[in-house]
Amino acid sequence: MTPSRIVRVVLSSAAMAALLATAVPALMAQNDSRPAPFAPARLWDGKTPDFRGIWQARGNAEQNIEGRIVVDPPDGKIPYKPEALARRQQNYRNRATADPSLKCYQAGVPRATYLATPLQILQSPGNFAIVYQDNHAFRVFHPEGRPHFDATDWWMGDTRYRWQFDTLIADVVAMTDLAWLDHAGNFHSSEFHVVEKYRMTSANTLEYEARMEDPVVYSRPWTLRTTLYRVTQPGARIIEDECLEDANGVRHHVSPSDPRNLLKADYSKWKQGARP
Amino acid sequence: MTRALLAAALCAVAAAGSSLWPLVAQTAAAQSRAADATLPRLPDGRPDLQGLWLKSAGGFQGLFIGSLDGTNFAAPGGGGRGARAGGGPPAAPRYQYTPEAEAERQDRLKRGYEDPEARCHLPGVPRALDQPGGLYPVQIIQDEKYVALLHEAMHDVRIIPTDNSPHPSNYWAWDGDSRGRWEGDTFVVDVSNFNGRTWLDMAGNFVDENEHVVERFRLLDRDTIQYEATVTDPTVFVKPIEMRFTLKRVPPEQQILEYSCLEGERSLQHYTDEDGGKKRRAK
Repeated sequence: MTPSRIVRVVLSSAAMAALLATAVPALMAQNDSRPAPFAPARLWDGKTPDFRGIWQARGNAEQNIEGRIVVDPPDGKIPYKPEALARRQQNYRNRATADPSLKCYQAGVPRATYLATPLQILQSPGNFAIVYQDNHAFRVFHPEGRPHFDATDWWMGDTRYRWQFDTLIADVVAMTDLAWLDHAGNFHSSEFHVVEKYRMTSANTLEYEARMEDPVVYSRPWTLRTTLYRVTQPGARIIEDECLEDANGVRHHVSPSDPRNLLKADYSKWKQGARP
Repeated sequence: MTRALLAAALCAVAAAGSSLWPLVAQTAAAQSRAADATLPRLPDGRPDLQGLWLKSAGGFQGLFIGSLDGTNFAAPGGGGRGARAGGGPPAAPRYQYTPEAEAERQDRLKRGYEDPEARCHLPGVPRALDQPGGLYPVQIIQDEKYVALLHEAMHDVRIIPTDNSPHPSNYWAWDGDSRGRWEGDTFVVDVSNFNGRTWLDMAGNFVDENEHVVERFRLLDRDTIQYEATVTDPTVFVKPIEMRFTLKRVPPEQQILEYSCLEGERSLQHYTDEDGGKKRRAK
């Protein structure tokens, strides 16, 4: 074998690997064979990965997840069925009033994760819950092994989880078709099924991945992925986010640090009481 | 006795292994353990309040449409709806409004439909736990820094730090601001910074932004938490109100459900004139 021939063989296997690399991501997204990039601290049982803390997404994915955090399909577009795409376009046109989030409804899964407001992970051995600042929504994650509570449609769904090494894998069903995935009107039906993966990629970053499945709305499953950053400011906390009605009965977010939140500020209005 | 304590302390330290729990807490833990060895505890020695809990009875909202009147207060005599159901006279009120507040209360009594909880607003404290008996559970998750109460009702959340840190100065909330501390085996929570919108029940009883609550959670046994709250509001009540009730552990085969109130709210119509609310109020 001449030296030049050896080089050619090496090159062609490299080309092979490159080809494989482009074909495989979809598979990897499902089986996640990637090595754990970071070993998180443990809870006091010495086993359970410790994800506790306040976490927050950056960027503006909440405005429109397409082209931002959708990683599969590679073009970043949600694979809608044609009639569903028409509905999304209609949602988009009406988003200024039709977005359920504007009515101070709970954001749903996975939208609550990448809102502009933070979330807090509460944990102890055997317990895992996420509290979202937005509209004080929360999810209690139940260990897998018992079947889903799937008798109704909820805003935050029913979550069963397991640990796969240092990755938390959550299976979410029972979600209402009234929720949106972002402010751009991306949506799902009540056949929506989400598989979430949470894993720490450094002490202060938590990777979030969600694989979406919905035979009514999407032509195939698709995946989004984003990073949540630990909120490290001392004394940082989840604050109360409760909307208040204006004179027209429309609800608006009011910060607890805004004096308008005090009853005194609009007490007369409240006392006179616009009758329902 | 001293030796037993020391041995317990050593055991606690040994059991702590490589965990990051402070040594001081471990020693305190050992002492608590000597006090009551039967309670489930976390590695820092604090009683383990975790689980799903349900108020069994009593409180301000002991009846579905409850009120401050006649439910089981901590005051001598107890009151309680049992006594009323037995045909006796209504228990004497355990609270007394200031004259201005009394007028306000009479006004609100006629406007029960303005109860903020009927509009899906957060119930405040102590109403968050004082929901109608047996209806909405609360999930407690606890570590060395927080005791978190996840209420099914109104998906109300209270993440209470256990470091007894001070209240902020620029924060006013439906649930106020909660700061906790352990006094031996009792979890004591100081709640302040209310926004003044809270009603205590569905019968127009209320507090304003001067409300201050001290809550005490005590694990009586593995399946029972005793809850006590002292509500002080000098601009509304002449003297503090005391309340007490127990939370019972919910069997493990049951889980907390979602309470989506605002999203599909249908309750308010029961309060409106169109729906007979006026007729009922006139009775």
